[in-house]
Amino acid sequence: MSKVKTYKVIGLRSTLLSLILFLFFILLSKQFEPYNQSQLANIAMLLIAVLSITLLTGASGQISLGQGAIMAVGGYSSALLVTRLGLSMWLAFILAIFISALFGLFLGLAAARLSGPYLAGTTLVMALAIPSIAVRFETFFSGDVGLSVDYGMPPEWLTNLVGEISIEEWSLYVVLPFTAVALFAVLNLLNTRTGRTWRAVRDNEVAAALAGINIGRTKVIVFVCASGLAGLAGALYGFRGLVAPSVYPTDLSLTLLTAAVIGGLRSIGGAIFGTFVIVFLPDLIEKVTKNFAIPETVGIYLPALTIGLLLLLTVILNPRGAAGALEHIRHKKKH
Amino acid sequence: MNLRKPLILTVVASALVGSLAISSISASAASDPGVSSSEIVLGMQLPQTGAASPGYNKVDDAARAYFDYVNSKGGVNGRSIKLVVKDDTYKAGLTISTASKLINEDKIFAFFGSIGTQTHVSIIKDINRRKIPDIFVNSGYSGFYTDPKKYPTTFGGLGTYTVEAKILGKYLKEKYADKKIGILYQSDDFGRNAVAGFTAAGLKFEAKKTSASFIAGTQGSIGLASQLSQLKANGVDIVIIAAVSSATAVAYATASAIAYKPTKWAVISVGADATTFQTILGSKGVPAATSAAMLAGTISASHAPAPGDATDEYVTAFKKINDDFNKGADKRWDNNVMQGMNIAYLATSALMGVGKDLTRAKLVAYLEDNGSKLSSAAFAPLGYSKSTHEAFTGFWLGEYDATTLLAPIDGKRVVYTTDSGSGAVTVSNYMRPAIAADALPKVA
Repeated sequence: MSKVKTYKVIGLRSTLLSLILFLFFILLSKQFEPYNQSQLANIAMLLIAVLSITLLTGASGQISLGQGAIMAVGGYSSALLVTRLGLSMWLAFILAIFISALFGLFLGLAAARLSGPYLAGTTLVMALAIPSIAVRFETFFSGDVGLSVDYGMPPEWLTNLVGEISIEEWSLYVVLPFTAVALFAVLNLLNTRTGRTWRAVRDNEVAAALAGINIGRTKVIVFVCASGLAGLAGALYGFRGLVAPSVYPTDLSLTLLTAAVIGGLRSIGGAIFGTFVIVFLPDLIEKVTKNFAIPETVGIYLPALTIGLLLLLTVILNPRGAAGALEHIRHKKKH
Repeated sequence: MNLRKPLILTVVASALVGSLAISSISASAASDPGVSSSEIVLGMQLPQTGAASPGYNKVDDAARAYFDYVNSKGGVNGRSIKLVVKDDTYKAGLTISTASKLINEDKIFAFFGSIGTQTHVSIIKDINRRKIPDIFVNSGYSGFYTDPKKYPTTFGGLGTYTVEAKILGKYLKEKYADKKIGILYQSDDFGRNAVAGFTAAGLKFEAKKTSASFIAGTQGSIGLASQLSQLKANGVDIVIIAAVSSATAVAYATASAIAYKPTKWAVISVGADATTFQTILGSKGVPAATSAAMLAGTISASHAPAPGDATDEYVTAFKKINDDFNKGADKRWDNNVMQGMNIAYLATSALMGVGKDLTRAKLVAYLEDNGSKLSSAAFAPLGYSKSTHEAFTGFWLGEYDATTLLAPIDGKRVVYTTDSGSGAVTVSNYMRPAIAADALPKVA
């Protein structure tokens, strides 16, 4: 198969899978009440951030405990562009990708020299430091109070077209195209030469260097791409109502990593599954425990406890996550 | 990396997780959501867990206890009151989701008594555009209430931080004219609002010298040592604290550790709950007698009676209801329990006042037209009108004694009143109506 033909097949498959995801979310939202529609919108935006971990950690082997902080960069960029410069929300989302990618470039330049726990520590410090910056330069970033932004109301042309829709459904419609495009981009990146290069660096840096791959440059490029994605997710996440330090706490970064690990760090399908788990599992636990006389003091800790336990079990028993387990079952059936 | 069949399979698996979470679609009511012939559903968000939760996580149980008492007496116009509570851990990102859950899944009639200035900022615009009543918010941030055109459905549940700071600031300025007064505040709307009030009272703070701040919620992790060392190094004699109770406890413990002994501490009321203070210090191994001694002499303010005031009729009535109906894990009687009971009493009054034909619009209109006539345990009247949705417009000043009771300064309770703007601080002549024998509001 010629190179061009290969790319066409990859492109077609990526388009198809992105479209399937798009339609799946739309169809699922039609079965849901507004609250679960808003949860679906949360999944759609957090999925973009989890995909950034799939790229960074899954594909290139670089650990980040600070994706939430890059989300904050995207959130503040877009919110400032809208509130201070009066740009349209849509343009602000796109510009947030570039601003976050630029941030990722600087971060990547430093990160390329680090690995393992040193890189994890550096990115964790970033997650802790970003909220402080917003408070330190209070006049510009509005401190703890943050910047009040939202998706607005559904436009008239849309309600004329599809009838009355809830604010929650509208938020899903705003987010979903970006999620589909992000998925398309990640699928393409990982299935082409670029993705193979990243994986080569992840698996054996020395062998990759001997094969002519520039390790430092590759790592920086991954950081740029992952930061662009995380920044977009952060912009969409902030427009739920507020861009403020408490919207992007340190544990947001850890939650994203948890989703990626539970689903499978190296799998896009796993990223989708993991994101569904971290968003819907607390609701599911609440629904189940409602039927039992569990003391409030225990009940309020159950979701975090369950997800933490799930993460531990995944790491100990099934490090490749849900996607890895699925792959293992398929493999067993074949042989 | 395998991206074909597993991707589709995991998408289907995700659908299963999602489908499990689908809630059953309830039949839509003819009237506003959250009201049926037998029930009124109210929703509250607060930090039940996390750094900001100590003390505040008792407000919901106290309010529910009062509502259960009302329900045991036949409810309001034949309807029982149900309070649904969500834990937002004092993180705005989560508050947005929990608010959506209360609105869309629990179908609440109104938000009631939600706690947290910073977290409420993230949802107030959405609540108001949906025209959902947002009553008795447990935040004294004046920005929520002074422009009803901006937030028409939001009504305060505390006196504003500006009003309290103006009253406390005037007293401190006059009483300690020869002392250096400094402030420790959390750098959110709560803290800044209080600073604005103290400044309006004529107090002056110098950044990095007599004024120290910290990010709300970080008090536990940072310990406030650098902030207190700064105030100590600058010779601050009187330290004002405008922060949550957990921060007050950390500040006192840290000051003790660095041998900083200001002449006086003055703490904004929401950060001065004695039980929370002692519980937090107790968890750090400080004996109750020691923490009581640390708190003794602290100046604070209150719109309501001191919880330890056994002679107050509201305290006696609410305390009995708390004993009989509170099912919370920690029902020890304190400021937080008192506040929860009091706003539940107010909510009951307002719902009674609207009458049988209860709608969201009618509740908002009722509070604007008649809210200022509603009485409660507070020694100051409510300020509700069409031009402001501020709650209690006055405070009395007190000093904690050795038994952690906030006793009126000089032995006589004087209630001062002012507004959140540039109005002067004057003595209030409001006379609080007595509570009925059955502790239920009597609304015409």
